Amino acid sequence: MNSEEKFFATVRTALGQAADGERPAKLFPQLFASPDPRPALARIAARGPAELAELAETLLAAATENRITTYQVSSLAEAEAVVVELVRQTDPEFSHTRHLLCHDHPDIAGLRLWQRFSRESVAVHTSFSQDQQLREKTIAACIGITAPEIAIAETATLVEISGPGRPRSTSLVPSIHVALLRSEKLVADLEEAYALLGQRQQLDSFVFVTGPSKTADIEATLVHGAHGPCELHIILLSEPTLPGDTAHSAQPAESAKQREDTPESTAPPEAG
Amino acid sequence: MANTTVSLFIQCLVDSMFPEVGEAMVTLFDRLGIPCRFPPDQTCCGQPAFNSGYRREAADAARHFIAVFEDAEVIVCPSGSCVHMVRHAYPLLFADEPAMLARAEAVAARTFELSQYLVDQLGLVEVGASYHGTVTYHDSCHLSRGLGVIDQPRQLLKGVEGLTLIEMRDSDTCCGFGGTFSVNYPEISTAMVDTKIDNILASGAGAVVGCDISCLMNILGRLSRRGEPVQVLHLAQVLAGAGQGGGQ
Amino acid sequence: MNRPSQSNYTREAIKGIASTTLQTNLRSFQERLGQGAMRMWVELADPEKRRRVKASRMRTLDHLDIILASLAEKVRARGGRVYFAETAQDASDYILAVARKNQVKRVVKGKSMTSIEIGVDPVLEAAGIEVVETDLGEYIVQLAGEPPSHIIAPCIHLDRRQIGRLFADQLGIDYSEDPPTLTRAARHALREKLLSAEMGLTGCNLACAETGQISLVSNEGNIRMATTMPPVHVAVMGMERVVATMAEHRETLQLLTRGAVLQKISTYVSFVGGPADTPGETREFHLVIVDNGRSKILADPEFREVLACIRCGACLNICPVYGKIGGHAYASAYCGPIGAVVSPLLEGINKHADLCKGETLCGACKEVCPVENDLPRMLSALRHKLAYGSDQWDTRQMNPAEAFAFRLWRHLVTRPALYRAGLRLAALLQRPFIGKNRMISRMVGPAAGWTDSRDLPPIARQSFAARWRQKHPPTPDVAKKTAENSGEEKV
Repeated sequence: MNSEEKFFATVRTALGQAADGERPAKLFPQLFASPDPRPALARIAARGPAELAELAETLLAAATENRITTYQVSSLAEAEAVVVELVRQTDPEFSHTRHLLCHDHPDIAGLRLWQRFSRESVAVHTSFSQDQQLREKTIAACIGITAPEIAIAETATLVEISGPGRPRSTSLVPSIHVALLRSEKLVADLEEAYALLGQRQQLDSFVFVTGPSKTADIEATLVHGAHGPCELHIILLSEPTLPGDTAHSAQPAESAKQREDTPESTAPPEAG
Repeated sequence: MANTTVSLFIQCLVDSMFPEVGEAMVTLFDRLGIPCRFPPDQTCCGQPAFNSGYRREAADAARHFIAVFEDAEVIVCPSGSCVHMVRHAYPLLFADEPAMLARAEAVAARTFELSQYLVDQLGLVEVGASYHGTVTYHDSCHLSRGLGVIDQPRQLLKGVEGLTLIEMRDSDTCCGFGGTFSVNYPEISTAMVDTKIDNILASGAGAVVGCDISCLMNILGRLSRRGEPVQVLHLAQVLAGAGQGGGQ
Repeated sequence: MNRPSQSNYTREAIKGIASTTLQTNLRSFQERLGQGAMRMWVELADPEKRRRVKASRMRTLDHLDIILASLAEKVRARGGRVYFAETAQDASDYILAVARKNQVKRVVKGKSMTSIEIGVDPVLEAAGIEVVETDLGEYIVQLAGEPPSHIIAPCIHLDRRQIGRLFADQLGIDYSEDPPTLTRAARHALREKLLSAEMGLTGCNLACAETGQISLVSNEGNIRMATTMPPVHVAVMGMERVVATMAEHRETLQLLTRGAVLQKISTYVSFVGGPADTPGETREFHLVIVDNGRSKILADPEFREVLACIRCGACLNICPVYGKIGGHAYASAYCGPIGAVVSPLLEGINKHADLCKGETLCGACKEVCPVENDLPRMLSALRHKLAYGSDQWDTRQMNPAEAFAFRLWRHLVTRPALYRAGLRLAALLQRPFIGKNRMISRMVGPAAGWTDSRDLPPIARQSFAARWRQKHPPTPDVAKKTAENSGEEKV
């Protein structure tokens, strides 16, 4: 008997089972039964602009409680202006040059930041999964920009799902985390967020992010900026609705289409 | 219900050290016209042994208690922790003895703490008592958390003519008695009762009232050592009108 | 108060009580969090949630073999490795082997009580590997060379001046007692460590069998760092820290963050279960699932419930004993009421006899517990083992003299006449001790524990029973009944 078999034999004995009587999971379907997610999914799918606007209000209020800076914009152009202003105000914490690190996402590409900063000493990087220098760029970055797929209005929580082109570290290692969030990505609460996560075939690694990193370990005094970002900015993008739009479609919204000045590629060259 | 004869279950500490509390309960019942009897063979419910882990000894005490009180219509005790013992520990002690368990549960179902009996069973909140002064109320652990008796004593106190109830901070935090804990870990116990006393003093009340003489003995003992003039009274004493008032 | 037989528990308790820093910090912590949690449960919109989560925790425990097998299968399918460790030694050996294989020189840790329980730090350090705690509070106590004293506030026993001096000495920064300045200093010092370490070592708040992930809850971001930036991530979990489904995960998580710090959700809840998709991030994930005595707890119906604990620390925030003595007195990875139950079960009931006995059984911990674990009941059960000894728990009788005293006590309380005579005798014997204020202020032997700091009211000259008999002389009927009752006694 190897150590793992021995471990399980001990557990089974403790439970009053035969030590060698392996109990296959499929004989105990009730253990893995979950409440039906369909009502939650139906709720999410049925939300129109008015309901989403309400969720947006909820998110903005919760964001304030969690020391999150928020901006409401109605176009990517406005979002771009917000980011540009933020970048210009930022003093890099860990390098001399201002490095920006962007998730590989059409909305972020749509901000065309590499163009905006082409004449400034700001380096704009996109987190392509084949980039072997990505770690160094991430460590140097003062701002990381993501476009979360889900956000929970009640607590102003972003659900950052990682995968190729969307590293875990972008929302973590840079001093400032900026999330470009489409209002269609809003759900009401944790239950709805879990329902959506449950729809994904293979759950990637993901993280719920609620505010900038913080600690209260010294005499219970709350300090923001522990080991993660010191600031979290949410740019909430609510574009005028187009017919046929549904909240939480399986694919990320192809927002770039709606812009006249669509960039030629979602793989921008890096500036700086 | 008011004609039901109450069997007095006088906690051993009341019997031996604070008999006046038992007498106050009798005075109160007499005034309310509630007939009562005192089964003379009662001793101790077994709690000290149980809390120290000596369950065989506790079970024998419980057997004795059940034999003594089995024929009682209703059993009323001026101590939340003793009632808690009967109601919650006895069934545990006899979990493997179905016959004893049935007897224990039958007795447990008829056992009440004083304020619980007056308010919940008899529907009384005014018992014709008067007390001139301010008091604060200490929630004993087994009464408040164990039996869920929190409002009943307060309702009764508010029904006392001339009495002003001032709530202290953290009234339901343990006073640090804990039975043998108070003797085995006196430093911790004392630190706890000091906080309790600080809260009593901060309330400004002239007296502290409780429903468990063991907590009150702990508080009294420390108040006396610290030389604080606050009076310590059992609820029964206030309701009997036997308290002398805080002179405020 | 210097009694000769002071235990470590009492000595550390006295130190804790004497520390004004600890007292001030614990008081404000308990007022805010403990009492806050009590109010929060009362106001909880879905009061059934606690009972549901408890039921799911117990169901998981009852089927732990199935759920752990399922978890391991899913983690492996994601490319993670799983190791089942029967003992602390097995777990530490495995972690050391992983470190050696990867030529690890530095390990960054996320706060993990299980790692303290298995004692892996000294094992790694003995192999020449630097081990750095990265949770700010844990980092501070590590610099100070002390154990943590609270589950979620490890340095609650230190004040800002002590921490300022520590940082000035150890980090070479200018003395400051400003928490943001100190936090920034630690942020920069630890960032270097977090980014250069070859291995991250964390615990696990809750694993989910359905998805094959572990989840970790933090506010500081250090745990995300430790699970992301080093090439190797090792997570160590007690074998009970698992839920079957994401639905159970959600509700359990909600109780965890609420119980711990009254938050609907903490800053970060991360779910990981395998290597990252991005080069330059974690490429190896190991999950070490530890028994180390838990199967013994699982096997005992009296104690299985304690494994339902979700380690939120709410019981520490309400316990009036912990609130006075702090965490060091518990001398174990786990302190407070949960530590008082789980440490004896994991490490020996005799060894931790003081933890079994050193509470008042006030019940506040049970009330505040998100899963309503009946810790007082289990403390009482532990005392039961100590009272008589227990082969099952390899426990010997703790105090034969006390056991004898209770046998004597039984003899008295089951024989009313003898009991009454005993009381009268005690009343006589106490006389020389009664002072002018009608109080006893000095006694000898164990009873001195009371009178060292408190007066004791004497036994009354006439008991209630005697007074009643005087007023109500027994009628023949009552006398007969009494005799019958006495005849029924089993003694």
